Amino acid sequence: MRELPQKEANLFKQILRCYENKQYKKGFKGAEQILKKFPEHGETLALKGLFYNHLDKKEEAYEFVKKGLRHDLKSHVCWHVFGLLYRSDKNYEEAMKCYSQALKIDKENLQIMRDYSLLQIHTRNYEAFADTRHQLLELRPQNRQFWIGLAIAYHMMGKPELGIKVLATYEETLKDIPTKPDYEHSEMLLYHNAMLEDTGDIQAAFDHLSTIEAHVCDPKTLKEKRAQFLLTLGRQEEAVAAYRTLIAHNPDNFAYMDGLRKSLGLDNDNLTCEEEVKVLDVFKELQKEYPRSNAAKRLPLRYATGEAFVKTADGYLRIMLRKGVPSLFVNIKILYTDKEKEQAIEKLALGYLAALDKSKCFDTAGSSIEPPTALLWTLYFLAQHFDFKRDTAQALGYINRAIEHTPTLVELHMTKGRILKHAGDLAGALDSLNEARELDLQDRFINSKCTKYMLRADKMAEAEKTVVLFARADIVDPLNDLVDMQAMWYSLEAGESHIRQGQLGRALKRFHQVEKHFVDFTEDQFDFHMYCLRKMTLRAYIALLKLEDQLRSHAYYVRATQNAVRCYVALFDKPNGEDSEEMEGMTDAEKKKFRNKQRKAELKAQKEAEEKKAQAVLEITKKGGKVDEDPEGLKYSKTEDPLGAALKFLKPLQELAAERIETHLMSFEIYIRKNKLLLALKSLLKSIKIDANNATLHEQLVRFALAVQKAGDTLKPAVKSVINKHWETLYQGKDLSGFNAQFLAKNKDLGSVPHLISAAIAVSLIHPNDKTKAEEILFAMGEDKYVSTRSLENCLLSMKTLKSLRSNRLQEFKTKAAKWYPKATAFQS
Amino acid sequence: MSSNAIEDKPKNAAFRVGLGDITPNNLGQLKRLNTVLFPVVYAPSFYKEVLEIGEFAKIIYFNDVCVGAVCCRKEDADGSTSLQNLYIATLGVLAPYRRLGLGSKMLMHILENAEQTSSNESKIAKVYLHVQSNNEEALEFYKKHGFEVAEKCENYYPNFEVSDAFKLEKVLTA
Repeated sequence: MRELPQKEANLFKQILRCYENKQYKKGFKGAEQILKKFPEHGETLALKGLFYNHLDKKEEAYEFVKKGLRHDLKSHVCWHVFGLLYRSDKNYEEAMKCYSQALKIDKENLQIMRDYSLLQIHTRNYEAFADTRHQLLELRPQNRQFWIGLAIAYHMMGKPELGIKVLATYEETLKDIPTKPDYEHSEMLLYHNAMLEDTGDIQAAFDHLSTIEAHVCDPKTLKEKRAQFLLTLGRQEEAVAAYRTLIAHNPDNFAYMDGLRKSLGLDNDNLTCEEEVKVLDVFKELQKEYPRSNAAKRLPLRYATGEAFVKTADGYLRIMLRKGVPSLFVNIKILYTDKEKEQAIEKLALGYLAALDKSKCFDTAGSSIEPPTALLWTLYFLAQHFDFKRDTAQALGYINRAIEHTPTLVELHMTKGRILKHAGDLAGALDSLNEARELDLQDRFINSKCTKYMLRADKMAEAEKTVVLFARADIVDPLNDLVDMQAMWYSLEAGESHIRQGQLGRALKRFHQVEKHFVDFTEDQFDFHMYCLRKMTLRAYIALLKLEDQLRSHAYYVRATQNAVRCYVALFDKPNGEDSEEMEGMTDAEKKKFRNKQRKAELKAQKEAEEKKAQAVLEITKKGGKVDEDPEGLKYSKTEDPLGAALKFLKPLQELAAERIETHLMSFEIYIRKNKLLLALKSLLKSIKIDANNATLHEQLVRFALAVQKAGDTLKPAVKSVINKHWETLYQGKDLSGFNAQFLAKNKDLGSVPHLISAAIAVSLIHPNDKTKAEEILFAMGEDKYVSTRSLENCLLSMKTLKSLRSNRLQEFKTKAAKWYPKATAFQS
Repeated sequence: MSSNAIEDKPKNAAFRVGLGDITPNNLGQLKRLNTVLFPVVYAPSFYKEVLEIGEFAKIIYFNDVCVGAVCCRKEDADGSTSLQNLYIATLGVLAPYRRLGLGSKMLMHILENAEQTSSNESKIAKVYLHVQSNNEEALEFYKKHGFEVAEKCENYYPNFEVSDAFKLEKVLTA
């Protein structure tokens, strides 16, 4: 029974409209009214379920939608509704099945087809998307959206030439082209041009520009594209003119100036002397023409060398120090990849300081008396410069002088904190940051930085207190609001602090928050599939699709993954709880005692916490907030399958960050523990391809060989033969001791501490009963040639390695390291 | 010295100076300044008053860097209900930024505002302050701005080596 009497049929139409207009309560009432008379009307039952869904009643929603479907299996409405319900729960696979059922019943239903296509593009099923879009166009060829939808489908399939054909056909059918500037038409034409560019036929794209010029209302893009195409086509003179026009519009655009330089044929990585002179002349002219342009002053520093560099840098630094530009060093340090430039800058800055001290001028010739702030910013610059070189003593000397000069400047205290952080004094760093914060309580940046330093020093309570200072006043649970606001830096820093404190559950909870944010980013694009087509923001839409596809290669996701994998691997290795840092090097009996003590303290703290929590819960629920059911993150730390969970985290990186060695190093750690030797082998081979001399890779190779040895005859012949096939690639025909010796010899002149650590670990695995050899290798880092990689981080890693070896030479190492890093608290006994 | 040395005498580069309000958010900077500039530790009540006195407490910026401050308080003038005196509790500039006119700028701001009290406020009869008796520089500075020595206060700073002070005042014409 589907046909309703006239009155109810009208009511049914009304409730459909209610749904479209988001009047869910009203629609719900209407549905109930129909159901009073016709309690088994399938479509109404299904709609009632959909209304339930929007009124936040999930269970009832599914119940009624399913009930409706049972009563009317042949209704496309019921299937469509079921699909919408699944879609709202992000169950795209099931949703698509429902849509496809609905379309079998009602083949030409535009609405369902359109909804179906949204899911197809969302799940990147381009072929099917193109199909659906094709059908839509055939049904409604007068509708622009359908033409463009099909063009996008072809474009995303990697067939821009088909997309172009679609757009061209549509453009031909247009009878009256808008004479006034029309944004939507303009955007379509520019999209057409972008597709032409994607085909690689730049000449065609260039020619196309002049045909659309009159209708485009984004003249800047037009000019940029023209200049870019002229340059690609080798029409240098015209390109030069085009870029000069662009520079006149915006003389601070680095890309325009790059374009001009390339158009002038000065595009080599290593310019000859003549070319260098030419480039510098070009910028000199630009400086004269645009005296306020920063780009024209800054860019020559990239190209000048030798004497010319000193002269250019001298001019630039003076202007910036006189003006007081706090970001000057950040802007300059990129040049330090060139040692010669680094030294030149150091010499200049030290020269200014001496002259300013003596005569308040930048040089002894004394051109003009500089304001007192010039001395201040010079000291600040020098402090950062020496911190960059990790010369803590000099850096601290300059920053303390600067603070004495002007103690009210926030940046100085911040930099002092940074220097101390680099020196390994986290508590001192935090104090400086807090001083900075107290100087300017309304600066969110310094507040966040201070929070970060608190987390680095594992002061969680202080960090929480500080970070919420900037929460909106009306927020019930400000800490949770940070999660809602997707403040990933906070989640990551907090999670890393939890790892250091051995709270893996809490740590994992943080990393899963980050992962959830990335899921949300992916979800967020759903609305844009429709919106962008309607609003015709086509180029931005294509850029969005490409961005979403790359999303998880973002540094934050990589960092969350590395940490999560570390946690899960640790949980697998030590299900009873990871050793906290203070437990490293203890014997098992000591550990047991320590754990018992910890557990007692925990129980006591837990009792107190629970009392407090009960209070807090009462308060939060009273205000309508949500209560955290699992603050410890037990859901993660007690998982049955930590390696599986780790792998799930890692999967996207195996696709998106396959060029990063870290991805494969992580994969190995998981597979070797799962005893999946072939997959472990695959990870090793990939790592070798990226960087055969990677330090960690060496240790993994040794572990792999030992695992194969241990498996011995239990290996399946097929597995064994694959491993054998690659054995030569892995170990170059050496036995393990020989392999390790070869690794050491090869890196003898490299002076790399990470390689020493890796070799030491390897040797300790090969000869588990003899740690002297491993110790000897590690202590070689005292030699002068290791000075450049004897960073604080590497010293800490070495110490950790010695601890895990239960080395008797730990104290000896600490004494040495304390000499290298006198401020580092970790080496002080 | 060559004859054209005078013409070659280096000129001061241009700089920007501006006055700013003291707010709960930058109070930390004022505290920092006072710690460096004055041997006295000021009580929390001092900083509370500073926040309420409006134009009579200011921070001065040199090229956007906070380098000095002035803080006053109002007192009822003797035997009058409609007249008040303004007491300059602190006025100071960080050492590297002295002799650039910043102190004068702050003092002039205070005097100007003291002269133009709005109709619903009491009029200010005089502005006064104390200076350590050996502080020649300060004495000269205030005299230049029309202040006169009203009295010598013996043992005004009991904890300092030079404990005497001069009370300087400037009577405002109505």
